[in-house]
Amino acid sequence: MVSASTGISQELLYQVGYEVNKRAAIVVPQDGLTAFGNAWERESKPLAHFILGKILENAKLAVADARPMCGDTGLPRYYVKVGNEARIDGGFVALERSLRRAVADVTQDIQLRANRVHPLTRKNPGNNLGVFAPNIDYSFEPDGDWIDIIAVHKGGLFGTDYRMLFPADGTDGIKRFLLDNMAEFARRGLSCPPVVVGVGLGGTKDQAVSLSKEAACLRLIGNRHPDPDVAVLEEELRELANKTGFGVMGVGGDTTALDVHIEIAYTHTGGMPIAISQFCTAYRRAVARIHADGEVEFREDPLWFTDYYRREGID
Amino acid sequence: MSQYQGREWHLDCPLTGEDIDQLNVGDLVYLSGPVFTARDGVYKHMLVEGHAPPIDLLALTNVTFQSAPAGVEVSPGKYHVSSLQATAGFRYAQYMPQLLEEFGVKVVVGKAGMSEEVYRDVFQKHGAVCLTTMGYGLGAIYGSAIKDVLGVYWVEELGISEALWILELERLGPLLVEGDVRGNSFFAGANEEINRNLGSLYEGLKPPVYGRLGEEHKPEIELF
Repeated sequence: MVSASTGISQELLYQVGYEVNKRAAIVVPQDGLTAFGNAWERESKPLAHFILGKILENAKLAVADARPMCGDTGLPRYYVKVGNEARIDGGFVALERSLRRAVADVTQDIQLRANRVHPLTRKNPGNNLGVFAPNIDYSFEPDGDWIDIIAVHKGGLFGTDYRMLFPADGTDGIKRFLLDNMAEFARRGLSCPPVVVGVGLGGTKDQAVSLSKEAACLRLIGNRHPDPDVAVLEEELRELANKTGFGVMGVGGDTTALDVHIEIAYTHTGGMPIAISQFCTAYRRAVARIHADGEVEFREDPLWFTDYYRREGID
Repeated sequence: MSQYQGREWHLDCPLTGEDIDQLNVGDLVYLSGPVFTARDGVYKHMLVEGHAPPIDLLALTNVTFQSAPAGVEVSPGKYHVSSLQATAGFRYAQYMPQLLEEFGVKVVVGKAGMSEEVYRDVFQKHGAVCLTTMGYGLGAIYGSAIKDVLGVYWVEELGISEALWILELERLGPLLVEGDVRGNSFFAGANEEINRNLGSLYEGLKPPVYGRLGEEHKPEIELF
């Protein structure tokens, strides 16, 4: 499957791309199950408690029946982290072809909904492929000779917003933006709470939006940012989001946000761009590492936000 | 933790007037029998452009799902559904008068419902109710209650994710009664309670130095 001269094969990339995509659609990751279980135990409102119990039951049934855990199977996408020493037989074009083929095949085999359509004509190719679809995002890591393939299936309509704030707005502005985001999207449960809230703070405007998505989808629930100031704000925002009382499905309850993850990026001295993404109750992600020798290791933690990925200086 | 006290109903499609009258907001419903799906594509094709449905919907059922299931064509003309979830219904409020009037629909199953005004002005007049799927992630539970796909129409015209699916259900639920025939909305009540506290969370937080066009800070309102 792997030779020293050619590297990781296209076929293996396809198999792993297929498997993580399939698992993401069906299996709720353990950190999600634990968080939903804790929310269920803590919940003081009878209807919210009943619904959280059903969410846990649904997660079990999805695995037992090998069927997608949500009927809106979202937009399948990949995050790929490549060790600097990794070699791919056929290069990155082979990797991308493998992942695109995996999306089309999983759509048919696992019976995902073919959600990707032309934005104007609404033409649907029926396989979740299309122009710029699926998204494939990359990051790199020194020394490693492996490739991590992360599949995320994320709902697409509600929960994301962007705003340019200014230094004078400070944490008040951040808190208001979070409250506004909850009031806009958690009402009636449009964004399908309880959610994991991702906040992208700083950077350029487009970075703020993409970091908010990565923060929501690619850190384990309970994980804290290494910068202590950011970590404190994460806790404060989680508390604030839950004080809104929207709860599961917006019916009124104790848990609206399972967690809040903030990613910061250095930004223009005059501004403080902010974006929020909400990762919904259909908490769908699967992770695998392909080692240079062809061994495949599945794990829970995406390990996406490494020290290198968040680096400040030249190295 | 006390048990949820909502009443539970097991009903066969099409529902009778009596079935529908007894439903109150907050009740839980399980449905069996035939239903048809319709979302953006079908509403536009059938209601706006006036294409007659390929089968007699009125004779089949009075229950519609604002949805397209996760499912595929497993062999030519043969479809299978894996999972099901409805989509946010507020954006289809404009189609409700025609749908209820011309197609005899009495039960609309969507996600999160519509405004109380739509229930009072349209649903109440037609003796219809609005149910919502629950959890917004119970796709496997709902999918496992789909016993058969009786037909899939307008696939060529609308694509598989907007097509008209006819599904045979067996105890699909729980669904929550969101709008009853008396014009009440479950979420209107839930929102009222949530709004009592919401404003206080903004206290002491200074407003942004630069506003946005159309920005009127009323976090307690619905945006549809």
